[in-house]
Amino acid sequence: MPETRDELIKRLEGQANKIRRNIWRALKAGGTGHAGGSLSATDMLSALYFYKMNVRPAEPDWADRDRFILSKGHANAGLGATLELAGIVDEGYCDRFYMMDDGRPPFGMHPDIKVPGIEMSTGGLGHGLSIGVGMALGARIKGQAFHTFVMIGDGELHEGSNWEAAMAGAKYRLTNLTALIDFNKISQSAHVAEVMGLEPLADKWRSFGWEVREIDGHNMTEIVDTLDALPFSGNKPNCVIMHTIKGKGASFAEDTHLWHQNAVNQEIYDKAIAELETV
Amino acid sequence: MAADALTTDWYKKSASQTRLAFGQALLTLGALDPDVVILSADTQDLLGVREYIELYPDRFIECGIAEQDKVGIAAGLATVGLKPYVCGYAPFVTARALEQVRNDVAYAHQNVVIGAAASGISLGVSGGTHHAVEDLATMRSLAGMTVIVPADVHEAYKATLAAHEMEGPVYIRLGGRTPEPDITDPDAPFTLGKATELRSGNDVAIIACGSLVEMAVKASDALKAEGINARVLNMTTIKPLDTEAILKAAEECKGIVTAEEHHVTGGLGGAVAEFLAENHPTRMRIVGLGDTFAVIGPTPALRARYGMSADNIAAKAKELL
Repeated sequence: MPETRDELIKRLEGQANKIRRNIWRALKAGGTGHAGGSLSATDMLSALYFYKMNVRPAEPDWADRDRFILSKGHANAGLGATLELAGIVDEGYCDRFYMMDDGRPPFGMHPDIKVPGIEMSTGGLGHGLSIGVGMALGARIKGQAFHTFVMIGDGELHEGSNWEAAMAGAKYRLTNLTALIDFNKISQSAHVAEVMGLEPLADKWRSFGWEVREIDGHNMTEIVDTLDALPFSGNKPNCVIMHTIKGKGASFAEDTHLWHQNAVNQEIYDKAIAELETV
Repeated sequence: MAADALTTDWYKKSASQTRLAFGQALLTLGALDPDVVILSADTQDLLGVREYIELYPDRFIECGIAEQDKVGIAAGLATVGLKPYVCGYAPFVTARALEQVRNDVAYAHQNVVIGAAASGISLGVSGGTHHAVEDLATMRSLAGMTVIVPADVHEAYKATLAAHEMEGPVYIRLGGRTPEPDITDPDAPFTLGKATELRSGNDVAIIACGSLVEMAVKASDALKAEGINARVLNMTTIKPLDTEAILKAAEECKGIVTAEEHHVTGGLGGAVAEFLAENHPTRMRIVGLGDTFAVIGPTPALRARYGMSADNIAAKAKELL
């Protein structure tokens, strides 16, 4: 029997919860990492990998797969946690955070292209959208139908290269490209609005020629409805501004720059997992 | 690459400029391979790709004056199996977009070819902001990057075709808007990592690249008149370096002079010195731009002022005898 809408939403929420558990598992294994920005991105990652994106876990290099680039590379714990849950990397991947030289693909603070399912090494901020423009243009030139998603952090939008790429995406009318802005309002040092204001953010993207949707990035129904609506128009690239909470799901880590990157020990891990159990 | 691709048509159209020979080679490649894509940052004429654009508009991407975006897009295209050739000004594509070249292209080991025109002080009167005198140092320090410095249009054309077959990123250093004399054998095949001997001699060796190969030859000829036999090696690829030819020169000659239109730190001279220091310590002189930015002026005058001349190369060679 096909999955009902309610069942789908519930399943994706459950998978997001599992990704959060995997994130904390990885951070505990590594002893430290970027909890805040990984947790804010998790609901969208769940919807992409377990609903929207056309990928083959056993065949990560399949030519027609949809592409995902984590431009906010510091949230790699979230991506790794998702890849493990999706079966694209081996089970146990999240227990190997920062562990080198064991003959398996590296799982570090930032994504590495050597890992199955990771499309580009990122971490230097402001690179992902240009690469995504290249992939989307490449799909057109090669006559391929895949869609390219690029997740960008809000603080990352301070990098001017994003806006160069935004112009190019609009110029080439890349309807097969979607920028996902993880708008958790907090960067490494402080609130983004204090560091360097971005507002009016949706207007900025619209003025650059993108079709924009603003959503609650933790409301799975809104996320799924939005992904279902892609492409948003017949001639513009797509931008989804996801209003999210940094550190989502862990009361002690929510909405504070102090959990951009932090040490994670057994005690913190237990506390975080206990909160997730209650969801 | 088929020999018949090497027609004389490209030669005429390149007008003795390496940057235009690069564009002519792209015209050849565009016809041969539907995966070849060209990217420009408002640099369509700089590398002479207008004819390519007319023939293959769907495989030309104009990024506007946005070097970082251009290099990132090229990396994205390469991941899909395309063969991107990036056309740009050497000072901007190697400095403004250095992080993209490093992370998106070199670290991710993508098959992207960067054609960098206006290198060295070829745009002399444009001033220091437009002089690319650090590009060899930065590009050769990137792991896996091939670095080619053609000495004339023949090498520029052949290297651009050869880059199509290479694995990993390639940097091709090209000249400015003035003619560059023919210096190499048009019929010689392009062999990556091999220097060619343009003058023989065992008194001293001059190893040069790019625009200063001509000066090295002139210096050798002048020295010959004084009874000094100076070997001249055209080091077309800085990376991989022809260490065999360098070692041979070090063993057979009294010393080595290197000559390049680049800062004396980190370029050809640095590469040769690094190799010899570990393998065969040799007396050397490194000819290039010293620890200064060049003033604004015509390129030939700048070369003379900063010692990148046949006279100075010959003088440095004599110091080693």
